[in-house]
Amino acid sequence: MKAIKYLMLLIALLFGANGIAQKDISVITNELSTLRQLTIEPGIGIHTNFGTDFLVTNLMQWNPRKHLSFASHTSFNINNITQRYFNSVKTNYNFSINQKFGVGTTLYSKKQSHTFLLMVGAKYTTYKETLDDERFDRVGSTITAFSPDYGLMYSLKRGWKKYFFTYRMYVPLYPWPTKGSNILYLDGNMDNIALELGFGIKIK
Amino acid sequence: MKNYGVMLKRVGTIASVMMLFSLFSSCEKEVFDPALTHEFTIQSIANGATYNIKVGLPTDYNPSVEKYASIYVLDGEENFDFVSNKCKEISDKLAVTNAVVISIGYGKDRSIDYTPTEVSAVTGGGPQFLHFIKTQLIPAIEENMSVDTARSSRVILGHSYGGLFGAYAFSTDSKLFGNYILLSPSLWFDDLISLQFEKDHRNKNKDREQLVFMGIGETENSGRMQAPFEAFYQILQDNYTHIKLEKNMEENLGHMGSKNPNIVKGLDYYFQNR
Repeated sequence: MKAIKYLMLLIALLFGANGIAQKDISVITNELSTLRQLTIEPGIGIHTNFGTDFLVTNLMQWNPRKHLSFASHTSFNINNITQRYFNSVKTNYNFSINQKFGVGTTLYSKKQSHTFLLMVGAKYTTYKETLDDERFDRVGSTITAFSPDYGLMYSLKRGWKKYFFTYRMYVPLYPWPTKGSNILYLDGNMDNIALELGFGIKIK
Repeated sequence: MKNYGVMLKRVGTIASVMMLFSLFSSCEKEVFDPALTHEFTIQSIANGATYNIKVGLPTDYNPSVEKYASIYVLDGEENFDFVSNKCKEISDKLAVTNAVVISIGYGKDRSIDYTPTEVSAVTGGGPQFLHFIKTQLIPAIEENMSVDTARSSRVILGHSYGGLFGAYAFSTDSKLFGNYILLSPSLWFDDLISLQFEKDHRNKNKDREQLVFMGIGETENSGRMQAPFEAFYQILQDNYTHIKLEKNMEENLGHMGSKNPNIVKGLDYYFQNR
């Protein structure tokens, strides 16, 4: 049942992208200057958990065909950066690394392009907290976690020459609904919605 | 070619509708058997609030021959159906007697009722709430239901601030409950006041027989949950000689996501070790 759910999700996404791409193909000319075959797009960003995580990210996108996009997205996240000491609890370190690969489609207009991607990858998180209060023994807790990382990414590129601005949004589909259908799992997704800004370079 | 395109669109539409139906149907709230559910209200003398109480009975509830354990569930409006259903499933699986589930709805704001000290206008009602449970709710349940009145047959289950309240009850009035299911407890509250309560009352509590299950989510990395959780666990492990103690960390889940999986593991631990 779970496998059917994932398959349907994938089918729906691909058909949606295909439909949009088919609709727009007639108005796009081959001379569009926003058409790029290979780009590299470093950026910075935040998660939507009250903006306490700082992200350094990079997207590499390869379009072998006009409406077919492949991408690799890497993100290094310094988590909970604004609150390292709270009620006698000290955060020693807290970071995560995400690496995802994706496939999707790109739509074009005169000065910008829009890419929609289905991303699949993994996330590594490690953090340490210590009880820092002279009334109690100094107890530390170190957590290291690997998890899958699935989701949908939207990437806007604005500019028409070699260099351009880019905005990205990533909505994770893990832990809900891919780990389980319990709606309470959504808090894990909400903590990892990423908003990113950066600039891009057209390599090819 | 055109027909192929139309067919693709139709298949896509059907797949999308099926997917949405599948996702929405999975979000349906589960409900405990209404025929086994009793509901009433009690007004607290201590704080004036009125609490909606739900009682879930075992399927084979037979007051003339059996005295059942009682599980008091905080955030009852959210947790009653899930806990009642899981108690039935787990007790059936283990072939042991089920328990009576008593859920306590919201009277005052949960942040008032579940916190032991006042650090703002919406905290600090824990002592009054505990007094209400001790002097009104438990006597009402034990008078009207066929439940075992021994401390060892009473369980308290709470999540987040509810877990903090459970830890507060553990330290300050340990005669009340013999079993504690503390899930993602907010032990950081008021500069680790719950750890201070434990320290202050340790000598009178440390030799009691009790069962404590502590659960948390692996991704609760907000800089406040993990270290106090680990410290409380280690204190119990090192100082309480007659304790049955277990902890669980739910992989890849956060504060809310880990709640139900930890409820299941906590109840399972309780039914197997009571």
